[in-house]
Amino acid sequence: MDYFVVSLLNGVIYGLLLFMVSAGLTLIFGMMGILNFAHASFYMLGAYFAYALQPYLGFWLSVVVATALVGLVGVVAERYFLRPVHKYGHAHELLLTFGLSFIIAEFVKLFFGNFPVNYRIPASLSFSAFQIGPSTYPFYRLLIGAVALAMFVVIYLLLTRTRVGIIVRAAIHRPAMVEALGHNVPVVFMVVFGVGAALAGLAGAVAGAFYTTNPNMAIELGVMVFVVVVIGGLGSLEGALLASLLIGLITSFSIGVDYSMASLLALVGLGDWAREVGGLLTLKLSSLSGTIPYALMLVILLVRPYGLLGEKE
Amino acid sequence: MDSRIILGAIIVLALVLAPAVLSPALVNAGIQMLIASLFACAFSLLCGQAGMLSFGHSAFFGVGAFATVHAMNAVGGAGLLPTPFMPLVGAVTGLLVGLVAGWFATKRTGVYFAMITLAIGELLYSLAPHLGGWFGGEAGVSTMRMPAFGLSFGSNVQVYYLTLAWVLLCLGLLYLFTRTPLGRVALGLRENTRRLRFLGYNVHMASVLVFAVSTMFAGVAGALQAINIESANYVLFNLDLSAEVLLNSYIGGVTFFLGPAIGAALMTFFGYVVSDLTTSWLLYKGLLFVAVMLFVPRGIAGLVQTVAASVRRCGFGALAASFVLHGVAAALLACGTVFSVEMLQRIFSQDYLSLARLGGKAWPAISLFGESWRPLAAATWLVPLVLFAIGLLVLREAMRRWRAAIEAATRGSDEANDPAVASGAST
Repeated sequence: MDYFVVSLLNGVIYGLLLFMVSAGLTLIFGMMGILNFAHASFYMLGAYFAYALQPYLGFWLSVVVATALVGLVGVVAERYFLRPVHKYGHAHELLLTFGLSFIIAEFVKLFFGNFPVNYRIPASLSFSAFQIGPSTYPFYRLLIGAVALAMFVVIYLLLTRTRVGIIVRAAIHRPAMVEALGHNVPVVFMVVFGVGAALAGLAGAVAGAFYTTNPNMAIELGVMVFVVVVIGGLGSLEGALLASLLIGLITSFSIGVDYSMASLLALVGLGDWAREVGGLLTLKLSSLSGTIPYALMLVILLVRPYGLLGEKE
Repeated sequence: MDSRIILGAIIVLALVLAPAVLSPALVNAGIQMLIASLFACAFSLLCGQAGMLSFGHSAFFGVGAFATVHAMNAVGGAGLLPTPFMPLVGAVTGLLVGLVAGWFATKRTGVYFAMITLAIGELLYSLAPHLGGWFGGEAGVSTMRMPAFGLSFGSNVQVYYLTLAWVLLCLGLLYLFTRTPLGRVALGLRENTRRLRFLGYNVHMASVLVFAVSTMFAGVAGALQAINIESANYVLFNLDLSAEVLLNSYIGGVTFFLGPAIGAALMTFFGYVVSDLTTSWLLYKGLLFVAVMLFVPRGIAGLVQTVAASVRRCGFGALAASFVLHGVAAALLACGTVFSVEMLQRIFSQDYLSLARLGGKAWPAISLFGESWRPLAAATWLVPLVLFAIGLLVLREAMRRWRAAIEAATRGSDEANDPAVASGAST
């Protein structure tokens, strides 16, 4: 029971973190058709900016400033790198963002070294929230979840309850029509790109302190975020939330399960045969926890290619 | 056409004669360049010709390498096939794995395809270290090259010739493939799948076949790598290798047949030369890639084609000044970039930072390019700024001259073609 509660909490919070990054990615894709490979790099930049600013500004202020800085980087990336290559098509834009992610990772290595940096939770926030069985649950994890939830509520209200939200949603579906109605669509794109980047930066600044902050964090999370948006359906915010929670829970629960295919086959009397074959059949589910999301993605693409909540093409 | 055949013959001859004049280390670099070229051409068949952007091609390179290592270790170390035929194992494995992976991946197109290939690559990368029997865990699997047909394969010159033979054969086959009906359909996959479907082609099947042909040659490249380094490690499945082949191909020019090979050979050679001099080699590569994407979208091969076409049209003399200025501008901008990056790299290095902390306020000088620089002095940072400023000015002038030459040539040909204009000008 304790294991169940802890895994559930961990899974939900990891899922919410995934959502913070995938929300921007899926919005940008829905709007501009660009799959932004550099999106997870913005997450990494958020963590590194917050780490670099922390000694001067304190924790909270550095999180805020890092978020704003990453948003600025996003605006610059859209305006001066993506817009000039728009005429060559989406594949070219994808490649350009890939190049940007490469450069960002190398710059991070240049300035901070190719090893994890010591970005820690401030002592004032490092306490346990409550006790489950013999172990305590860190308050900071709950804080990450709370930030993600607050972010979801704010984006949702912004998109559904304000005039700006109406224009953004319209620009996602019919950019040409919105432009004809007198709205400056390129600026809307630029702002959405910047806000999406800032959200990823916020996620990095908050979560980097809890998980590790290293030059590989972008690629590690980035691939998982792609899996999330494909499973959820590209362009769908609700789908991204659902898929994030799903992946978070699967990853968190599978870590603690010690069964393998062989144990399953043992139920029908094939256990010895399976152990003799070895290979995939004797791999424990716990060691597969990093692999399951990719396999799930392939299954989803087979049975429901447009994702859980995506629109049919 | 004739001049192309002559040029090709000269290149092949140079590649055959190269080991006689090169040092062993350079022969090794040559092997790496050949393998990277083949891998890039295999990748570009899929990406440039069929328009399917793959982010997980290292999976097939790695699978080919592992299959070859196991085949070399088979039959008590004697090997399944004689050493020169080992790449066939990589080819068959690449083809079979490519058929399965391609069947999944080509169900979708565009960015979805890119993400599925990424997921397939990551799936293998995350799975491989747990499957010790196949991939040897963290340590990998090692093997030995067995002598065959009177050749010992002990020296790397023999390995060079084996690699060269296979790479030339495969490039020839890849070229012939572009001439087959399926090769032409591949172009259709890139241009317009809907029309292809209306013409009665099974688009999914055609995509799978093109995918599998590409992975087959990627498998050969992996096999050659395995023969060369006599081992394989699960790190082969890493995204780094997929990224490398992608960067190389696009820098070379992915829509041209030999563009990717040129890009891969150049980048591998630069990597070999520069990686000893600087730790920021990957950063330069990334910057070069983004610059190519922004300013030369068709890569080096596309640039060569554009320049050749302009020279034919305007004559070399009219463009010579512009060429020189372009070269000077590129050199100045490159110098500015290298200076800034190297300077920053030294300032932010671990050693220097701790040295600076010990020294208190006074930051010690940094020696770079035979001079010593004060990191906080304005003069230090004026150097790259001046380089950038002059470089941009020269670039502007070079582009102005280029446009003027093209314009003059266009006007000249218009007048020659149009008698009314010509007579109007004379009266």
